Amino acid sequence: MHQQGVGDFAYYVGISSLSQIATRHDRVCVLNILGGESSEVTPVSHVWSGGNVVFGTAPGKSGQVLETSLGPVPVFNSVREGLDAGHRFNCGVVYLPPTAARDGVAELIRVNPELKKIFIITEKIAVHDAREIRAMGQQAGIDIFGANCLGVADAWNEVRIGGALGGDSPSDTLKRGSIAILSNSGGFTTTIAQYLRMAGWGTTTLVSSGKDIYIHYAAPEFAFALANDARSKAAVLYCEPGGYYERDADFTKPVVACVVGRWKSRLTRAVGHAGAMAGGSDDAAAKEAWFMEKFGVDGIYTPDKPVFSAKGALVTNIAHIPAALTAVMRANATLPDFEPEGTMELKPWFGSNMGIELPAAIDLPVVQAMPPYREQIGALASQVGAVFARQNMKDISGASQMDPRTQVSSLHGVTMLQAAQNSLEANLALALLREAGGRNDRALVNIAVGAFLNLHGTPALAAADAARESGSAPNAVLAAAAAMVGPRAAEPARQVAALMIELFSRAGLRRAEDDSFDASAIEIDEATRARLIGSEADPLAGAMIEAAIARGVRSAPLGWLIRLGAHPRAEAVLAALTTTLAWGPLQRKRVSRTTVENLPWWMRLTGTLIGATAPAEQHTEQGLCGIAQTRLLGESSLTEVAATALLGRAPGSDDLFAYQTLTGLLLTNGPGAISAQGAKGAVSADGPETPSRVQLNKAMIGFLSHTGFAHGGNGFEGVAFLLERFAGHTLADPASPDHGLDLTAMATAYAREYGAERAASKEVGSAARNIPCVNHPVFKDKPVNIDPREEFVRKLFEARGEYNVFHDYYRKLVQALYDEGVTRNVFCVNVDALIATLLLKMMWPAWQAGSLAPNELETAAFTAFLHGRLIGCAAEIEDHLNRGKNMDTRTPQSQVRFVA
Amino acid sequence: MQITGMLYGSKLLEFVEFPSAEVLGPDASEEAIKAMIERHGSVFIKPVFKGGVGKKGKAGLLGRAKDLKGALAEKERLYFVEHHHGNQSAKANGVTFEGAVPAEHEIYFSLSVSTEFRAPTLTITHCGGMDIEEVDEKHIARVPFDALTGMKAFVVANALADIGAPPEIISPLVQQLPKLWELYHNFGMTTLELNPIRMRPDRRGRLTPVACDFKCGFDRDDARWHRLNLPSELFAADYSDFEQEINQLRTHQGQSDVYVINDKGTVLAPTFGGGANSLVTEMLGDDAIISSDFGGNPPYEKMKSVAAICFRHWLAQSNVLFVIGGKSNNTDIFETFRAMADALREHFAKHGPTPLFVVIGRGGPNLVRGMGVFRDTCEALGLPYRIFGFDSAMSEVVDYAREVNEWMKAGGRAQIAARLGVTQAVAA
Repeated sequence: MHQQGVGDFAYYVGISSLSQIATRHDRVCVLNILGGESSEVTPVSHVWSGGNVVFGTAPGKSGQVLETSLGPVPVFNSVREGLDAGHRFNCGVVYLPPTAARDGVAELIRVNPELKKIFIITEKIAVHDAREIRAMGQQAGIDIFGANCLGVADAWNEVRIGGALGGDSPSDTLKRGSIAILSNSGGFTTTIAQYLRMAGWGTTTLVSSGKDIYIHYAAPEFAFALANDARSKAAVLYCEPGGYYERDADFTKPVVACVVGRWKSRLTRAVGHAGAMAGGSDDAAAKEAWFMEKFGVDGIYTPDKPVFSAKGALVTNIAHIPAALTAVMRANATLPDFEPEGTMELKPWFGSNMGIELPAAIDLPVVQAMPPYREQIGALASQVGAVFARQNMKDISGASQMDPRTQVSSLHGVTMLQAAQNSLEANLALALLREAGGRNDRALVNIAVGAFLNLHGTPALAAADAARESGSAPNAVLAAAAAMVGPRAAEPARQVAALMIELFSRAGLRRAEDDSFDASAIEIDEATRARLIGSEADPLAGAMIEAAIARGVRSAPLGWLIRLGAHPRAEAVLAALTTTLAWGPLQRKRVSRTTVENLPWWMRLTGTLIGATAPAEQHTEQGLCGIAQTRLLGESSLTEVAATALLGRAPGSDDLFAYQTLTGLLLTNGPGAISAQGAKGAVSADGPETPSRVQLNKAMIGFLSHTGFAHGGNGFEGVAFLLERFAGHTLADPASPDHGLDLTAMATAYAREYGAERAASKEVGSAARNIPCVNHPVFKDKPVNIDPREEFVRKLFEARGEYNVFHDYYRKLVQALYDEGVTRNVFCVNVDALIATLLLKMMWPAWQAGSLAPNELETAAFTAFLHGRLIGCAAEIEDHLNRGKNMDTRTPQSQVRFVA
Repeated sequence: MQITGMLYGSKLLEFVEFPSAEVLGPDASEEAIKAMIERHGSVFIKPVFKGGVGKKGKAGLLGRAKDLKGALAEKERLYFVEHHHGNQSAKANGVTFEGAVPAEHEIYFSLSVSTEFRAPTLTITHCGGMDIEEVDEKHIARVPFDALTGMKAFVVANALADIGAPPEIISPLVQQLPKLWELYHNFGMTTLELNPIRMRPDRRGRLTPVACDFKCGFDRDDARWHRLNLPSELFAADYSDFEQEINQLRTHQGQSDVYVINDKGTVLAPTFGGGANSLVTEMLGDDAIISSDFGGNPPYEKMKSVAAICFRHWLAQSNVLFVIGGKSNNTDIFETFRAMADALREHFAKHGPTPLFVVIGRGGPNLVRGMGVFRDTCEALGLPYRIFGFDSAMSEVVDYAREVNEWMKAGGRAQIAARLGVTQAVAA
């Protein structure tokens, strides 16, 4: 059942000429106008078409608008609401998801009696819905285009409706001419128009037909409308296997048909565009035969064997379309619409052999791209660093993630198990620059952070000490110090870093550690020079330069700075060090310019925070924790100093390894961890869309305030448990396997005690306390359970020949719990046990000597956590400020609840 | 996504109470088979293939037995039989036993989409029981009907009248066949074919149509067939692990269709757009590992996951990473290239470098920024590359990728391996 339309069709067709498909009189309503695809595409279409979209719909979003350069397009809940508001339209565009497309078509048809055309962009619509869509259109006398198409465009009228033909700049491709295009492929509709243009052919109307089983506007009615369009002298058809549409088309004007898909006869199921594959009488071979018969030719047109007639030519490669068309049109005494605009030969825009000698045939030299791309490529050369797309970063991180299967978190692709084998300084580089770097990089970090570890005489130390005095936990102590390292202190070095990025990129510096880099091309004016060089010696600058020399640091920026004048400023030296550090990742576009500009501040902040973990009396004019100032900068590693600050004594090599393992494991637990949430919230609140306004020190305070006795301090629970278990036993050296203790007996005794305690609490209906550091919600249910993280680190220590009596005890304990029937299987010793056992082993001498109070042990456990996590959170902060949007961590009102 | 045979066919027909031949599955007991032979005089033994494969009868894959011994012999012959038809091949896993329905009339019936009429179409003949192609056209009715009204009794009646069907079969068919529209329309089918339907007389000579063979195809994009709760392994037969992984990412945004062309190939070509997919796959031939269409503006995350899966499965054996598409309309080149480049970088970070030549041909929004990201990645990873814009003919770019692949095979791979410090270049 269908309306009577034009032509002699067995179904309704309303379009009598291609010129009517997309006109300047058409007015458009877009369904799901604010959807992902539409919100990008519709503004371009609207503007190019002179403002043809009258309104769009998006249920529940009435009152919003879609911004375009011609002004906002209003959005309503429904079509009826838009009509009630006084808008009128004759074209509907459907961007709805596949399950909603049919209902959208029904809405357009039933609600708007003036409707004439519908364009369905949606792909993957069920055949079931497609046939109902077809039937509704036929019944109401509506022309439908698509589905699964990219809409239509008209180069004469400069109108496009639905979809994105011509991309984001339609005029680049769609130039007025004499050729109409009908294509099963949306992408190739534009590509063919582009190819034609290069050969001197412009276009009239372009129809992307889609390639669903139901093609609502197909070859037969296209041929009819082509005949009636005075502007179109010929057409190009791009056809894929499936459907009898082309067979039934009666062309009266010349046609070049490109039929592809013979290879599909090798397939056993559909790939890419839907439709028949092979074997049917509508496969590619059949379609080729139809066209050959129509054109009266006996072969396929190729440049080597040009077979064509005045009626047309068949090609199987789209690159042959322009030549075939020119040949066919010459046979019709017709010349191209304009001078050819280019050739289709190979033109690499970018290329490199990477030092490998290639044979001449493939060693194509890079050529200049056509405008406007030429200019863009030029601009690209001057663009430094990565540019990240901004998005809502609530609960999302570009820095850390946790693998739910293994429970192992990773930071910039490095798992915590790997990070546990890195030094603290390498992990800091990893966190901020996404690469742990090499020896030179570690030296740079050690100097840059080392310069700020000793807080003697600084307000930061006074603030930290006052906080400590008032009984604050270590996180609050560090927060007090962090508050003293604000933007004003960081600004001079940030500016120098920005300047150095500019100067050295322009000078073409590739490797920053290249001391021999010829910086003579860099010219600066006097005012700039004054920002880098002072009139008298700056002791900190001098100390950093000396340390750089002592450590054999290689740095082109530092070398340049030193040659610039006698007294470099400290901020300039710092920026030279950090810029050297960041240059590789910046060149490789792993980090943004903003990150490199932030880097001096990060170094200062990290130094201050780690320094502040040592009490005030450890900071003197001469050095920190007994480490002389020159050694601090010129020799010590950050790992060493931080471990010293934590232990209150010089660490041995075992201590250092244990400390490094501990902090590495603690770096991150993914963006869901409370500490990360605090850091991200702080960035979000400052508004990362203006990154220079984000206060890094305040963001660190956000992280610190989101740690506490339950998150961070809980490492102490395991320590306290072990202290209880080992109380009354004499243990001289926890690292010696000859400790003389019967761990199995100790474990068995406790397992019995715990079993009895648990049974008793069951009697009275209360829950027994849990044993810290055993069992895990993921690693359970096997006869013997292993936490793979614990196993990894245990083996690491075994390989070093190191022994830890506390760890051994835990392993005996889980077995004893099972043997005594307390647990149903052998629980795992979990990752928290590593923290407790490593820490207690390090602290044991002081504890034994009685120089450590229980609360100090707790502080130490908390501090160790902060050392590791502050690095992980620095990564989180830097990531969020590069990618996030203002206030993106807030929770929508609809998702918050009130409880009474 | 097809179902053939009565094992599941009879269950589907039960949904709409359409009579079907009695059927027993592969696990039928000897007693049950014997009882069936007693009831029906004889049984048909048919191999069970997953998915759809045609022309089984002609290949002699249809057994008939009048006693238990014969039935078991046929079971043994057909249980694991292999069948080749055209480019398809299938291996049976089991047989069905179907009670013979003696009848004078055999009907061919199908519902499908006709692109000539652009409507659902009934095809019917009373000269069924053989391939429809072999039936005289004058006995075949092809009748399109309105999808909104459905295949009503009058559609069937008119069709049968047009081909001069025997009067005695018209009334029973008019009563029963419209039920099949319900099955076809409400459970996401694209085709439904019953051939033959045998007209079984009852004691008073009244005829009842009984479906004796069943074939249907389901629409992957229609969730309605999920209502049938069919076991998923029915359709899982012909997907490789790689294809399965990619399919899990299939959503309505972004195509992410893949097909493994040659698992020994050496060109890994993530392709954008159905058109490009056709062109590239055709031209690369057996050099191509996969045929793919990742167009449709996939978001960054999805593109990265897809690329990561491709790299994990195929990068080690690839000589050329060939990213190719036309001038895209709305696929954001920056987003898609950034995603692929990041996946490549992460792959190298995780699995170490592998000798590779990168060839890219593309056009579309944010083109130069996207190319810039890929260039930087190749530079960082030390891979030689050429990146072409849309002003180079796509087919020329494909040819270029093939030439590079030939050079890689002839020693280029070893050179790049040496440059990257890879000790063992996987022979490609």
